[in-house]
Amino acid sequence: MIEIKHLAKTFSNHEIFSDINLTVNTGEILAIIGPSGSGKSTLLRCLNLLEQPDQGEVTIGDSHFTAPHISKKQAVKIRQESTMVFQQFNLFRQKTAWQNVAENLVTVKKIAKTAAKERALVELDKVGLSEYANFYPGQLSGGQKQRVAIARSLATDSKILLLDEPTSALDSELVGEVLTTLKSVVEEHPDYTVILVSHELEFVKEVATQVIFFEDGQIVESGQPKDVLSHPQETQTQRFLSRFTQQTIAQ
Amino acid sequence: MPKLIDFKMIFTNIPLLLQYLPITLGIVILSMIVGLAFALVIALVRLNKIPVLTQFFTLLVSFVRGTPILVQLYLSYYGVPIALKYWNYYNHTNYNINNIPAFIFVFVAFAVNEAAYNSENIRGALLSVDRGEIEAAQSLGMTGGQILRRITIPEALVVALPTLGNQFISLIKGTSLAFVAGVIEMTAEGQIIAGRSFRYFEVYLSLAIIYWGLTVITEIIIRLVEKRINKFRTVQKVVKLNDALSASSEVTPIKRPVQVLETEIK
Ligand SMILES: Nc1ncnc2c1ncn2[C@@H]1O[C@H](COP(=O)(O)OP(=O)(O)OP(=O)(O)O)[C@@H](O)[C@H]1O
Ligand SMILES: [Mg+2]
Repeated sequence: MIEIKHLAKTFSNHEIFSDINLTVNTGEILAIIGPSGSGKSTLLRCLNLLEQPDQGEVTIGDSHFTAPHISKKQAVKIRQESTMVFQQFNLFRQKTAWQNVAENLVTVKKIAKTAAKERALVELDKVGLSEYANFYPGQLSGGQKQRVAIARSLATDSKILLLDEPTSALDSELVGEVLTTLKSVVEEHPDYTVILVSHELEFVKEVATQVIFFEDGQIVESGQPKDVLSHPQETQTQRFLSRFTQQTIAQ
Repeated sequence: MPKLIDFKMIFTNIPLLLQYLPITLGIVILSMIVGLAFALVIALVRLNKIPVLTQFFTLLVSFVRGTPILVQLYLSYYGVPIALKYWNYYNHTNYNINNIPAFIFVFVAFAVNEAAYNSENIRGALLSVDRGEIEAAQSLGMTGGQILRRITIPEALVVALPTLGNQFISLIKGTSLAFVAGVIEMTAEGQIIAGRSFRYFEVYLSLAIIYWGLTVITEIIIRLVEKRINKFRTVQKVVKLNDALSASSEVTPIKRPVQVLETEIK
């Protein structure tokens, strides 16, 4: 479960958001859509403490924090509650696919290397990459890299998944394989709490239980995917979606 | 005509000089290890802009880079005893300066020198590490120390290694000045032999051959290390073994999906 109360973040005079309130229950998949620069990544990064929030209270899994006074030790613990998949994959380039997946197991969970490798291979198999266990990131396609990153997240056993535009850095022909992988992940783990930033609207409609439209650091509209995406009530949402569909069709 | 050059002596000198190789290597390896650790500390302090220490280290680096190593060796030789006297005075201890082996003066000078020269290189290498990978490591719940050890330093090493290698080689050559602080290493022993036989040219030629050999061996080792840590840059070609087999013969394709061939870029 994720519960966010009065979350605020400002980057040197540039206020990104000042009062975010949001609850995502266990088993829910919240999709966030919204224009570039509206603060979607910043919100996810605050939950993972990759950015230090200025104010607010967050309950994430079994942990709770009140910004801004968070010790390093507490931050490490809070980060272990959730796991993040990045737009740019952020794989460790000097480690092979299986070593990437095993890193958390070996370093954080202190699992013996052989057992960690075994687990890593299982996770790679789930994303369809067991044959690529010994490949380095530089030797993989974008889609494969993102699937390794997903396997790396799954291996942490965190029940909270933060997905920040997992397919937007990919060539269009590679988007499908990653979405298929993500779909099987959420179907296999109905107990996961997921926040997904994505503009793959078809995919969002298929998997999300809740959608919010985010603009200028405000939650403009929220509701069921079919309502928000097909019958948006707010003019800002309507404008964004119509512009967005036009762009997609034009491509 | 008298024998101008004793060719045989050039070679008979070598084993005599090599007896002092352990001293030379001892200075090199110890100064390198301590110097690198110190360099990492300087780099981290300057990257994190820790007040006072940053200014102090900036000054130290500038000073070391701006003065000859020979002068630094003398400073260490005369400075360490003075420091010890102050220590004795303020802590009411009674350490004897004569008990300090000459090796220490040399080691202090070279270690500080290495630290100063490598800290800039290490700082640049640390800065070049991809932010995204560090964030990924953070989000996996790794601590700062774990990230440094497992992600940042290995990544930075790839960038820093060529310069570190050159620095290592100039350290090997630099140890030939250690005699000024009273350490008998290869060059100092060479001077002793030369003083005895008056065959200066031959002795220095023997020394030149030894240092050259050391440098070449070091270069080879560095190249091997470089190759190893750059392994992630190799290109892998996936060949579907089954396709290859069924295309070329009647052998029933076995159930082994891919074979990996490694080739190097360039
Ligand atoms: N570290 C930072 N320092 C200063 N400003 C930042 C920083 N990170 C983000 N910003 C600013 O915060 C705003 C929100 O950025 P954010 O990345 O959260 O947007 P986003 O909704 O994820 O956009 P996109 O769809 O392009 O990914 C942007 O204006 C960005 O320039
Ligand atoms: Mg973003």
